[in-house]
Amino acid sequence: MQYESQKIAKNFYTAAALLFLIQIVVGIVAALQFIWPDFFFLNFNTIRTLHINALVVWLLVGMMGATYYVVPEESETELWSVPLAHLQFWATVVAVLLVIVGYIVMGLFPQANSMIFGTLLLNEGREYIEAPRWADWLIVISVLLFLFNNFMTIMKTKKFTAVQGVLLAGLTVLALMYLPGMFYTKSMVMDQFWWWWVVHLWVEGSWELIAAALLAFMLHKLLGADKKVLAKWMYIEAGLVLITGILGLGHHYYWIGTPKYWLWVGGIFSSLEPIPLLLMVWDAFRITREKRGVVQNRVGLFYTVAHAIFNFVGAGLWGVIHTLPQVNKWTHGTQITTAHGHLAFYGAYVLLILAMIYVTLPSIRGVKEFDQSKGYLAFWFMTISMVFIVISLTGAGMVQSYMERLLGLDYVTVKTSYNMWFWVFRAIFGVGFLVGVLIFVIDFFTLGKKSAS
Amino acid sequence: MSHNGARNLFIFGSLLCFAVLIVLTIDTIGTLDERAPEITEAVNAGKKVWHKYDCIGCHTILGNGSYFAPEMTKAVVRKPKEYLKKFILDPRTINPKAAMPKLGLSEEEADNLIAFLDWISKVDTNGWPPEPILTAAAGKGSSMGQTLFKKHDCSACHQIGGLGGTAGPDLTHIGLEKPDADWHIRHLKDPESVVPGSAMPAFAHLSDEDLRELAEYLITLK
Ligand code: HEC
Ligand code: HEC
Ligand code: HEM
Ligand code: HEM
Ligand SMILES: [Fe+2]
Repeated sequence: MQYESQKIAKNFYTAAALLFLIQIVVGIVAALQFIWPDFFFLNFNTIRTLHINALVVWLLVGMMGATYYVVPEESETELWSVPLAHLQFWATVVAVLLVIVGYIVMGLFPQANSMIFGTLLLNEGREYIEAPRWADWLIVISVLLFLFNNFMTIMKTKKFTAVQGVLLAGLTVLALMYLPGMFYTKSMVMDQFWWWWVVHLWVEGSWELIAAALLAFMLHKLLGADKKVLAKWMYIEAGLVLITGILGLGHHYYWIGTPKYWLWVGGIFSSLEPIPLLLMVWDAFRITREKRGVVQNRVGLFYTVAHAIFNFVGAGLWGVIHTLPQVNKWTHGTQITTAHGHLAFYGAYVLLILAMIYVTLPSIRGVKEFDQSKGYLAFWFMTISMVFIVISLTGAGMVQSYMERLLGLDYVTVKTSYNMWFWVFRAIFGVGFLVGVLIFVIDFFTLGKKSAS
Repeated sequence: MSHNGARNLFIFGSLLCFAVLIVLTIDTIGTLDERAPEITEAVNAGKKVWHKYDCIGCHTILGNGSYFAPEMTKAVVRKPKEYLKKFILDPRTINPKAAMPKLGLSEEEADNLIAFLDWISKVDTNGWPPEPILTAAAGKGSSMGQTLFKKHDCSACHQIGGLGGTAGPDLTHIGLEKPDADWHIRHLKDPESVVPGSAMPAFAHLSDEDLRELAEYLITLK
């Protein structure tokens, strides 16, 4: 680390690590509610909302931290305004806390979620974007301040590097693609149509741009790989992500009341989505093989390569298996989707942020050498547990698709009898995952501090 | 490919695809009115109730949402509306084993919600959800009574030997618990008169013969 202001990244990482912990604890509660619906004083819907919102928010906060680290380094100057970054950080934290309190109040007193000025006060009742409209505006303002600060930093030296370009493009599209989720439509079909713009164009569009940029950044930082070559491949990956991913959106428009041509558009383009993800794996391996000798931060490189692999497996493979309309007709809205959702988010974005933390935290703390063993231990606990969670969910999804969709058995019967063991396995491996997260959080707070004393 | 070629692929390839998306979006919006019934005041109010109580936090609708509870797109096709309304208002009085909590909807909210569910069941979804192709529970039964049981879709709410729904009690051993055929006939004609507060729909429109056949079949289940 060369610039003092890069240290602001640590605040964001800390918030991310704590929300990660909360996300997994409530995830286990949700898993137990599949076995005992009354397990907790909040109903399943509230717990699930907390689980997925904590996930999305900590990944976003992690991306912000990563960007505050990357931009000064690429621009070779201090951040434009450190106080603004602090303000933006605390505004985000306060907004997130308010929203969480709102969810809990709504869970306890559903009537409190009343209509005010045409929008719901505490919970919008739409998956992933449950946050109420007033919070949406706070989020937009926070992201705009964040973008502005980084943009001004770049303008200080006008070093328009490729990594910065793709990273900021991804973040700008991310902010823009939040807007289609911010108005009410009377038709549930339209509602879901625009909702997918947010969800799909985030995870299969703008977020993948951010991933491509951060991957290139990390490969350069860890291995000193040639920036020109990295940039070229990053452009190709990012380009293919968008060329396949934008129209791949069609794989969500098969059955929601939209015209039939989406079966063709979605089927063809989304089937190609794994290609850029495979390129990223190849990129990571090629450069690692060329430069292996020089790595000091082995655990950072380990997470980077693992991210590339699990991005391909979780998003690419577990996505493509149910993306053709002929398959999706039977698996749409089953546990197959959950299996994919978990492995994709874990591989593509959880491991990405963890990799960024392991790559940049040592230099933020000012150490070159640190104890890397906890990083590996956390990885294996999390990854093995996640793999078994996904196996359980894929099993549950296959049973559900067969019994409910092909045989016509009742949903509740399949869930409460045939799939019961899968729920038990998921809960057990959920605890395994939590152990991994705990090790990571401890490592995060102690990394590099012992060697100083 | 050169560095600039790669950058141009990224910029112009994605802009082109986005332009195509915009065109398709405009076209799609234009077709929606033909693909769904008119949205009345009640339907819109029902949609707002759906959001207010975060039903999506447990259920899927049009296949999207959470996977903790049944798909809602065809709920009104699977079960009578009167039953669904009673269930939504107070799930566990209707079905003691229900996992759905009482959310505190008002009568009016429940009516609007049913109007909304009715609307969504009529949207043209390109044939989703598909009819089961192996249908374990359908077809002819081995007796007249069993055929009637299937014909009137009693198994939407009742299980026999592990097949069927869970809204009403399991009937696998009903012949042991309620061995009186006349009780069954009275119950089928007007469930509430026999079981106060019952949410089972009445089957008074069936002929006396059919009711008798059904009742005779039920008491053989031991
Ligand atoms: C905490 C989770 C939860 C919430 C929130 C929830 N439900 Fe349910 N619902 C369930 C479960 C689980 C079932 C399956 C039957 C059972 O076990 O209770 C169900 C069943 C139903 C059924 C009966 C379906 C059938 O085919 O028998 C309807 C209708 C329904 N819910 C509507 C709603 C509506 C409308 C809302 C919002 C106002 C809602 N639910 C909110 C969990 C929930
Ligand atoms: C919409 C759901 C629904 C449908 C359809 C339905 N029932 Fe029921 N049934 C119930 C409920 C709820 C109860 C519990 C309340 C009661 O006993 O009336 C019940 C109770 C019963 C009982 C008494 C069980 C006991 O243990 O006391 C019998 C017998 C029965 N139903 C038979 C039938 C038959 C035969 C059909 C088809 C002609 C049918 N039901 C259709 C919901 C349904
Ligand atoms: C890049 C990271 C990706 C992430 C984080 C991700 C995540 C998700 C999530 C969370 C859902 C469920 C949404 C819901 O709750 O309703 C979903 C659905 C889906 N995803 Fe992905 N996904 C990714 C990439 C992909 C790719 C590359 C493909 C295809 C090749 C794909 C195919 C699908 C399909 C077909 C569905 C719909 C499932 C259904 O019909 O129920 N995904 N994705
Ligand atoms: C980093 C790890 C995790 C990620 C990225 C993650 C992500 C997600 C996402 C995206 C969803 C909603 C979309 C969907 O269902 O497809 C979800 C739902 C859920 N998650 Fe997780 N999760 C993680 C860990 C866990 C753990 C450890 C558990 C507990 C064992 C858990 C339990 C659940 C449950 C029960 C649901 C609800 C699924 C349903 O509706 O059927 N998750 N998670
Ligand atoms: Fe998608």
